[in-house]
Amino acid sequence: MKMQYDIVIVGAGLAGMRAAIAAAEKSKKLSIAILAKTYPIRCHSVCAEGGTAAVLREDDDYDLHAWDTIKGSDFLADQDAVEFFVRNAPKEILRLDNWGCPWSRREDGRIAQRAFGGHSVNRTVFAADRTGFHEVHTLYERLLIYDNVDIFSEYFLTNLIVEDGSIKGVATIELKSGDLVIFETKATVLATGGAGRLYGFTTYSHQVTGDGMAVAYRCGVPLKDMEFFQFHPTGLVPSGILMTEACRGEGGYLRNKFGERFMEKYAPEKMELAPRDVVSRAMWREIIEGRGIDSEFGSYIALDLTHLGEDKINERLPMIRDAAIKFAGVDPVDEPIPVRPVAHYTMGGIHSNKNCETQIAGLYVAGECACVSIHGANRLGSNSTIECLVFGKVAGEMAAEYALNSSGSHVPKDFILNEESRIFDHLLGRNGDENPYSLKKELNETMDKKLWIFRDRDGLSEAVGKIRELKERYSNVEINDKSKGFNTDLTSTLEIGYMLDLAEVVATAALYREESRGAHYRIDFPKRDDVNWLKHSLAYYTPEGPVFKYIPVTITKWKPTERKY
Amino acid sequence: MPILDWFKFTNRSVYSLAFAIQRITGIILLFYLCLHLIFLTSLTDRTGETYESLIAVTVSKQFLLFDILLVLCGVSHGINGLRVIVHEFGFVYEYRKVVIGFAFFLVIVAWLYASYVMYCLVGG
Amino acid sequence: MVEFRIRRFNGDETYWESFEVPTRRGMTVLEGLYYIKENIDSSLTFRASCRMGICGSCAVKINGRPKLACETQIASVGNKIILEPLDNFTVLKDLVTEFEGFFAKHKAVKPYLIRSDVSYEEPKELIQTPSELRNYYIFTLCIKCGACYSVCPAAATRDDCLGPAAMMAAYRFCADSRDRGEDARISIASKDLAVWRCHLAMECSEVCPKKAEPAKAIQLLRRKTAVNAIKSILRW
Repeated sequence: MKMQYDIVIVGAGLAGMRAAIAAAEKSKKLSIAILAKTYPIRCHSVCAEGGTAAVLREDDDYDLHAWDTIKGSDFLADQDAVEFFVRNAPKEILRLDNWGCPWSRREDGRIAQRAFGGHSVNRTVFAADRTGFHEVHTLYERLLIYDNVDIFSEYFLTNLIVEDGSIKGVATIELKSGDLVIFETKATVLATGGAGRLYGFTTYSHQVTGDGMAVAYRCGVPLKDMEFFQFHPTGLVPSGILMTEACRGEGGYLRNKFGERFMEKYAPEKMELAPRDVVSRAMWREIIEGRGIDSEFGSYIALDLTHLGEDKINERLPMIRDAAIKFAGVDPVDEPIPVRPVAHYTMGGIHSNKNCETQIAGLYVAGECACVSIHGANRLGSNSTIECLVFGKVAGEMAAEYALNSSGSHVPKDFILNEESRIFDHLLGRNGDENPYSLKKELNETMDKKLWIFRDRDGLSEAVGKIRELKERYSNVEINDKSKGFNTDLTSTLEIGYMLDLAEVVATAALYREESRGAHYRIDFPKRDDVNWLKHSLAYYTPEGPVFKYIPVTITKWKPTERKY
Repeated sequence: MPILDWFKFTNRSVYSLAFAIQRITGIILLFYLCLHLIFLTSLTDRTGETYESLIAVTVSKQFLLFDILLVLCGVSHGINGLRVIVHEFGFVYEYRKVVIGFAFFLVIVAWLYASYVMYCLVGG
Repeated sequence: MVEFRIRRFNGDETYWESFEVPTRRGMTVLEGLYYIKENIDSSLTFRASCRMGICGSCAVKINGRPKLACETQIASVGNKIILEPLDNFTVLKDLVTEFEGFFAKHKAVKPYLIRSDVSYEEPKELIQTPSELRNYYIFTLCIKCGACYSVCPAAATRDDCLGPAAMMAAYRFCADSRDRGEDARISIASKDLAVWRCHLAMECSEVCPKKAEPAKAIQLLRRKTAVNAIKSILRW
């Protein structure tokens, strides 16, 4: 089945919905389709908790926000993009206010801001501790106003249709009927999110499998800086559910087995509010050196909120309290919460510039699946939600302008037949020996062990080898559910294929980068090496594995210095 | 049949039970109302004979059990109805547990009292 | 070992199937479902995403009561877990139901801030005190899971009834001090198949996983519609 739209946006999270709104505001004549593999309000963006950073008040400064971001990124961020980003952030906060987002307020009725790791000023705007949830619902409700936007829920991305270096359309599976649905389009925005389910212990939803990244990679678009995966310090044990950085922002402490606030040894000035990579490494070091607290789910560190008082916790951190009671059986008012560093954010992604352009004409990317790069080697907390909003708007407007100035496209019939045969005959129809879910389990175990916070050459080479082996075994996989309608077995298996491709890129990129920077820490190369490695890695797809090129980082005002907190 | 969902109260809270009972007692009372109208229209024969004969049958020791059950239906429908009126338009919704407990208590008290009065009226 | 007894549907017929699932301390029903899908029968179909009770995908009936599978501990249910899809929704496959109608009803009440003095190009900060925020904040917690709709007797009898979640969304905006669109929403809410269909079964508030109090929101909305109706009759 074929459909025609001027713009197709794949992914209905914060970035995707913001892009749809921006494109719809640009022109009423454009027909816009926004596709998601779940319903829009069930995207992973709803899990964001702590807040959204922006310069709103007189005691703050754009250059200061930019400097915090660039220092936090360990100087790998492209500084011209960061300068653009911080200047466009405040208006997004105000727009959400105008659209009904229930921001938490100061006593005088103005939007409140709180402290967050790595920011020199309290600039994190928040809505209790469910900021992502409220932002997503606000954007979704606003999106309902536009008549020229059609929302397609439960459509699974399978391929991009590219011809002569420009985008022609998007291929998807409509989950309900099981049919292949092709969207012919002039411009496409990919906003499909990160790839966190590569790891076993992760804050991510089950659906976050890097579909857009893998599909773009296979179509020839390079992936940038994939070795940088953020490990958030406080993930609830054993589920991995995020305990927001705001717990520490509101005054929480991290204690080891002896009750010490060990952050004093690692970041004496900022203590628990140092950037996430610094805190995660500190916590992991405490755990591997035996100072973690033991339990049936492994060693953990205690996140102590008991001194904050019940009123403050109920007002500022209600969802955290609920989650700790429901998923760990612990009430933070009385006892410390068991936490451990957890895989949380993909700094890397599809290579793009600050106009969200990729090398394919008409293809734009925004949000976590893109790498501009704003976050470099480490992201500051509350910078991701605002990045999605700022660059979602840019991508939507750029796509709208491109669509207004181009003529229609046509997807050739043999592409459609090839795609149907690839998915339904060769993947769904074939017989094999492997259970795709055991491949996923082995992938998760490999990533959790070898591509975690502390990495070394042997571990990384073994990881690359193991992932290659898993990819071989994937070609022998059999899907048990052969039915057509709502076949989640088929979509899960496709997701596992995407994850294997991405894992290969992550592991190989980590093996090649012989330095430690931000979230990527090599035990065998523990120092930052600006002479050889102040550059972005670009991974290009070949059937034998990723091939790497390197491009320089854009530096405008701030020369790289030592990063101490 | 969708309308049977009105009477679903397994795996539900006490409020759904009250809702279901409200519908059931409502139907019973509707049936009683028709009967009551028939009784009263029998007065049009101007002598009162039909009326007196009907009363002689229904206000008697044999019918006391039906009357007690009927009074239970009436009292619970009325008092639960008052509870619903209090909560509609959003008043004291936070105290709904207390309100339904108190309503249940009032129903029992009113029912026992009315039953006692009827028992006395049919002669001990 | 715990028995999971699931009511399944393959597009043609409904049937029950049982699975034995090994459990450990703290395991949730959703983890049990993933275990079955990944190790026993991969055709088992269910919706799930965040596994932390915020996305609303995994609402199912557990031993007769709608709950979020990701938030329900197996230990709190017992040795036999009976899973069925939500009532009042058309079943598509196994535990997955149709949700398009539910979202269409939500859209019908105009669930967005209506205000004419704000511009897209030059947004401005709107003032709202913490107590004004508290007036409606609890009603913003709806995750659109559908549990309230599946226990509502009004929604059970009429397919086109708006349902608790949509009406709570309508009230959430009417009560937001920044909104100026109350009249538009009240005229939708005061129609026959909306606010006046509620006869206070109050079950929606009891099953709401976020304790967002939909029954209270509907009654407060009813109060607003009634006051509006009286005002318009008296030409106030």
